[in-house]
Amino acid sequence: MAVSQFFSKLIPTDLFAGLRVTGGYFLRKKETVQFPEQRREPTERFRGLFSYDVDRCIDCHLCARACPINIIFIRDHAEYEEIDGKKKKKLVVDRYDIDVKRCMFCGLCEEACPTHPKSVWLTTKTYEGANYERNEELYFTKERLMSWDGIKAFPGVVSPAQGQEPGNLAGTKTGGGEAA
Amino acid sequence: MQAPLIQFIVIPIVKIVVILAVVLLVVAYLTFAERKILAYMQVRLGPNRVGPKGWLQPIADGLKLFAKEDLIPAKAEKAVFMLAPAMIMVPALLAFSVIPFAPATDLFGLLPKAMPPYVTDINIALLFVLGISSIGVFGIILGGWSSNNKFSMMGGLRSAAQMVSYEVPMGFAIIAVLLMARSLSLVKIVEAQQAAHLWFFIPGILALGIYFICGVAETNRNPFDLPEAESELVAGFHTEYSGMKFAFFFLAEYTNMLVVSSLATIMFFGGWLQPFPNVAWLSFLGVIPPVIWFAVKVACFIFVYMWFRGTFPRYRFDQLMQVGWKWLIPLSLANLVIVGVGVLLVKG
Repeated sequence: MAVSQFFSKLIPTDLFAGLRVTGGYFLRKKETVQFPEQRREPTERFRGLFSYDVDRCIDCHLCARACPINIIFIRDHAEYEEIDGKKKKKLVVDRYDIDVKRCMFCGLCEEACPTHPKSVWLTTKTYEGANYERNEELYFTKERLMSWDGIKAFPGVVSPAQGQEPGNLAGTKTGGGEAA
Repeated sequence: MQAPLIQFIVIPIVKIVVILAVVLLVVAYLTFAERKILAYMQVRLGPNRVGPKGWLQPIADGLKLFAKEDLIPAKAEKAVFMLAPAMIMVPALLAFSVIPFAPATDLFGLLPKAMPPYVTDINIALLFVLGISSIGVFGIILGGWSSNNKFSMMGGLRSAAQMVSYEVPMGFAIIAVLLMARSLSLVKIVEAQQAAHLWFFIPGILALGIYFICGVAETNRNPFDLPEAESELVAGFHTEYSGMKFAFFFLAEYTNMLVVSSLATIMFFGGWLQPFPNVAWLSFLGVIPPVIWFAVKVACFIFVYMWFRGTFPRYRFDQLMQVGWKWLIPLSLANLVIVGVGVLLVKG
């Protein structure tokens, strides 16, 4: 046996290599984000809490059909109005509810939405939806989807009623990556 | 009051109370230090929410443990079960009665004449500390046995085997220091290092290594924490303990770490001495009180303890025995011969 091999058996140098690694980490900058005080900015395509715009919605029910777990509930009625002597049928949304507590944030409803810009979208960067009560507080009606009543929005994000627009529009030319 | 009464009753009691309070406070904050250091090694921040920067965390932990329910298992051996935490805590604290953390001082002129701040300096102090700290293993064994739990029992047995195997090389490592210091008194050992113009870790580097490895094993710390191996034995000998009894086991472990670190400081790093005490141009270091030097050196050892915990995986039981009997004992015997010959050559 070579002399160096003998000494490496006698003095376990690999242990010191281990100590050097942990010592290096000890001095390194820490990765922790102190959450309530500091936040990490989600990416543009991050799927957060829902937003909904009733004025753009054409009541086509495609989002409800696209939803894999059927948590979008729409109730509407038809209204007829006279335009140029012709009777025209117009659909009015009475209820547009999303049961967010069951949502898996797949975003298929946003993809299915045919309007430009989207009428329902998740690119809101808002994720602080934790609550002490799950039945009422995590069931979003049309009004709450628009006003964001009781939702802690990500700093800088406003509710749809205050003018929030979809951030990243899949399939349109205004999307961040596709513009260039 | 009469002079002997003051000298033999009042002064020792004051010293004991002060030392106990300081040691327990330091031990409580060692838990905080451990959590912080481990967190830093894992690129986390660690506890920083209770009080400014988390500095009240140990106090919050203590209050929580006081408020916990004190459970005794129905089939436990009640008397022994209650006694075991005390049996491990008392020897750990008792060792501090002989640890000299500073030389005789008059507290910046407050006292009429210089007085040693440690409780006592007996001429067999080192033997006393070794003996006392060996008693601590009874607390672990009895605690494990009286819980009437197979995990606790296994933990206690492992602890006994470990203590027995690692006390031998530790003793040999200490004998190397005794050869150089020619005394068992801890104060004399420090004074011998001052007189020799040399801290004993330079001639005794091998003894220091062996002593510290054995010290880690004696205190059941990583990588030798088999008695409380979480993955195999739940928590080992203290699985069934809760509340303040559990806290006693925990505090005893940290107190033992402090004892081992203090002994290492005294035997190898000149105790309370400043670096190079006999070099004239470094005498400005004497501005810092000796007790601070002592604390800094002990803190370095404690840091190494936690560094080990953050780095090494646990030994397997047969590996543990192999390291103890096949590696450390021959090494410590060889070291003894080398140091013995060296002492003969130097002192004649």
